[in-house]
Amino acid sequence: MTLPILPTTVVGSYSMPGWLERLKTEYFARRISRHDLDEVHDTAVKAAIKDQETAGLDIVTDGELRRDNMIDYFVERLPGVDIDRSSKKFYYDFYDSSVSGKLPMAPLGLADDFRFLRKFTDREAKFCVTGPHSLTKRIRNNFYPSEEAFAMDLARVMNLELKELVKAGAKIIQIDEPYFSGFPEDISWGVNAINAMVDGVGATIAVHICYGNRYGKPSWEGSYRYLFPKILDAKIQKLTLEFARRGGEDLDVFKELPAPFQLGVGVIDVKTQAVETADIVAERIRKALEVVPAKRMFILPDCGCFHLPRDVAFAKLCAMVEGTKVVRKELGK
Amino acid sequence: MILQMNHLQGKQAATSAQDVVGAVYSLLAEGHLDEAQFANLRVHLDWIQYRQNFREPVTVTQCANDRSDTAPVMEIRVDTRQIIPGGLREPMLRAMSVANSAMHPEVGNPSDRIYLEEFTSFRSSIAWQFNKLYWHHLSDWEKATGKGYEQALPGGKSDANHPEAIADCVADFWTLLRDLENKNQLPAEIFALEIGVGLGTRSRTWLDRFRALDAERATKYYPRLKFLLGDYSLATLDRSRPALTDHMDLCSFIVLDAIDPGKTLAFLRHKILHIHLTNVYDNLPDEEFARRDGKLYQVQTRTYVPLDEAARICDACGLTAAELSTVIRRLLDSGPESLGDRGISFWQEIWKAIRVEDRLVCLEDLPDVNLPANLTPAHLEEVLEDAPSDFRFHMSSGALESFRNTLPLLHPRGFLQVQDIFVTNLNDYRLGCHGPGKLDGSIVNWVNGVLLREVGERAGYDVHFAPFRYREGSRTSILYTTQRE
Repeated sequence: MTLPILPTTVVGSYSMPGWLERLKTEYFARRISRHDLDEVHDTAVKAAIKDQETAGLDIVTDGELRRDNMIDYFVERLPGVDIDRSSKKFYYDFYDSSVSGKLPMAPLGLADDFRFLRKFTDREAKFCVTGPHSLTKRIRNNFYPSEEAFAMDLARVMNLELKELVKAGAKIIQIDEPYFSGFPEDISWGVNAINAMVDGVGATIAVHICYGNRYGKPSWEGSYRYLFPKILDAKIQKLTLEFARRGGEDLDVFKELPAPFQLGVGVIDVKTQAVETADIVAERIRKALEVVPAKRMFILPDCGCFHLPRDVAFAKLCAMVEGTKVVRKELGK
Repeated sequence: MILQMNHLQGKQAATSAQDVVGAVYSLLAEGHLDEAQFANLRVHLDWIQYRQNFREPVTVTQCANDRSDTAPVMEIRVDTRQIIPGGLREPMLRAMSVANSAMHPEVGNPSDRIYLEEFTSFRSSIAWQFNKLYWHHLSDWEKATGKGYEQALPGGKSDANHPEAIADCVADFWTLLRDLENKNQLPAEIFALEIGVGLGTRSRTWLDRFRALDAERATKYYPRLKFLLGDYSLATLDRSRPALTDHMDLCSFIVLDAIDPGKTLAFLRHKILHIHLTNVYDNLPDEEFARRDGKLYQVQTRTYVPLDEAARICDACGLTAAELSTVIRRLLDSGPESLGDRGISFWQEIWKAIRVEDRLVCLEDLPDVNLPANLTPAHLEEVLEDAPSDFRFHMSSGALESFRNTLPLLHPRGFLQVQDIFVTNLNDYRLGCHGPGKLDGSIVNWVNGVLLREVGERAGYDVHFAPFRYREGSRTSILYTTQRE
């Protein structure tokens, strides 16, 4: 599948509809069955795919609508992780979870969700997973001698899963590591864990790093400068980052990003419901083009659209696509 | 009949209860109440906290549930503070007649009152226009009464300015700055915001303390501070300026709407490290809801002036009763000066005289009911799952919206502190009246802390309440937020 220049995509999640949120809560209250919830999820994912296609995105995801949040989807599947099921007040909360022994090697079943996505779209498809650094920040470690050791073992288990995703046809896999920005001192071992996770995985690997999007608000502030130079050791092809909300203040830092690294430029602020115009999007892309050439750039929101109302999320994606078209035209593409 | 004795004062309870039950039975015996009504009757013996309030000694509220086969629920509320032993029958009969006309407009309005509006949510009531008038013309009011607004507060002074409380707040703020600096994440400009500035005393004390602490620890944070004072009254902001003379270089005075500070301060989204409010939420437009027999009702109110009070005020001001509504409108639109020399006294007398009557309307009959931002009927039902099955509570709509609209201004590691009077357990609504009351020319309501906590959690903040330990007997609590991870 040939992608246009400045390909457009989402970071991962799409708007969580109010009705789905309510039904997830109903499930936790044992008022609907797992079977019913699975059917609800299937329907919601199909709708999310359709919205992305209609908005005109080049690369789509399943909207991550099966996930309560970026952590629990994995915590529930990771073998050897103990979960306190009573620890959630509502579905979006994180479970209290912990490890008390070495993680056993076992499949997580993510490939089924990718196959579902693949079945319902002809577009290029991307699958997103949470990275080992972020997982270690949420799962209490009662066994490993260090967070780094824990992360490396998580990477070992996740590596097998990524290979399963590739077998299922995944060509683009994104690893989400928002906790890097909260713990910049961990960047060295965090990148090592990513490298262990993607070792021998035959897909294009993207890493997404933002300043957090819990409850639709940032968790940290600072500068992406902390990523350098270690990020250059990462065995990845794409780096997707948050720029729109912060006014692109860190963009200059990425002049140091050498080829063949590609930069995913966040041009939609997902922490506000104000919808950008195509002109604003185009202007943000032009600014990024001063730093990275078009052939090494792709376009996406700052982070997931999970917390935005559906109509707002859809309008933002449409503006993103329109703004990208304006710039493509200027580039003669 | 269910008799609920709320927050009664000692032995007075027994006497009041006997009187009330006796009066209800005589109404039943005389046929003013039928047996079905009696079976669904709830009688509340309230002790109203605020000596100045909007209630008659006896009020009757009916629920509009026409679709139901059962007789409508009727509530009689008796203010035990104003009760005259042995004199309950007549006020009860009158209140029942008023409630009946509220539910059945075809019977006509009671003739003993002049209504200033149609039934509406209290949030939209004209009463809040009086409240706004008070803050915009505060100095006129104070001049006329000869006392400052803080003297009208219970205890005669504001907890906002307590030096120890302010010192603790500054210490917490300084610790936050140091932690951020240790992580290399301290912004070049350090923003702090005070919403509702009063006379500027708290801001001055806070800044004095912060400057001293900064100097003592040689951290050089003070010169980087940008201190914003926000208030919706320009007159109030102007009154606060002299207090801030020593810190003028780093202060900005900004007119903003406390219900949506983000509208004015959008450019500071995610940038403010500390936001503080004192006694603002309890004075923002509010409304009540009620839960009865598993159904949710909106409490609709209409404001009136009792006819005898209206006659007295008109006499004193040389007005006819027919002119009263027009003159009140002029007062609210153009201020007391538009009424000449008697403007202030007219305003004060009318405010003192104003009462509110209410009725309950089932939420199912109000498909367009406006709940405060981010609170859906479904979410509200979830919150109420563990609440008492029959109770009346404040929605604290203005406070909820202010809270929800202020949070996005906070820096990711920043915190919000609110000093106010909070109800932190929904059961407490069954123990007594939590407003509205009148404090001089303004309105006061206790704030529904439970709903604030729920809305905060959905917005990514855990909300905590700590008692105000700096003054014995204080009813103030301190709300503070922490990041919900």
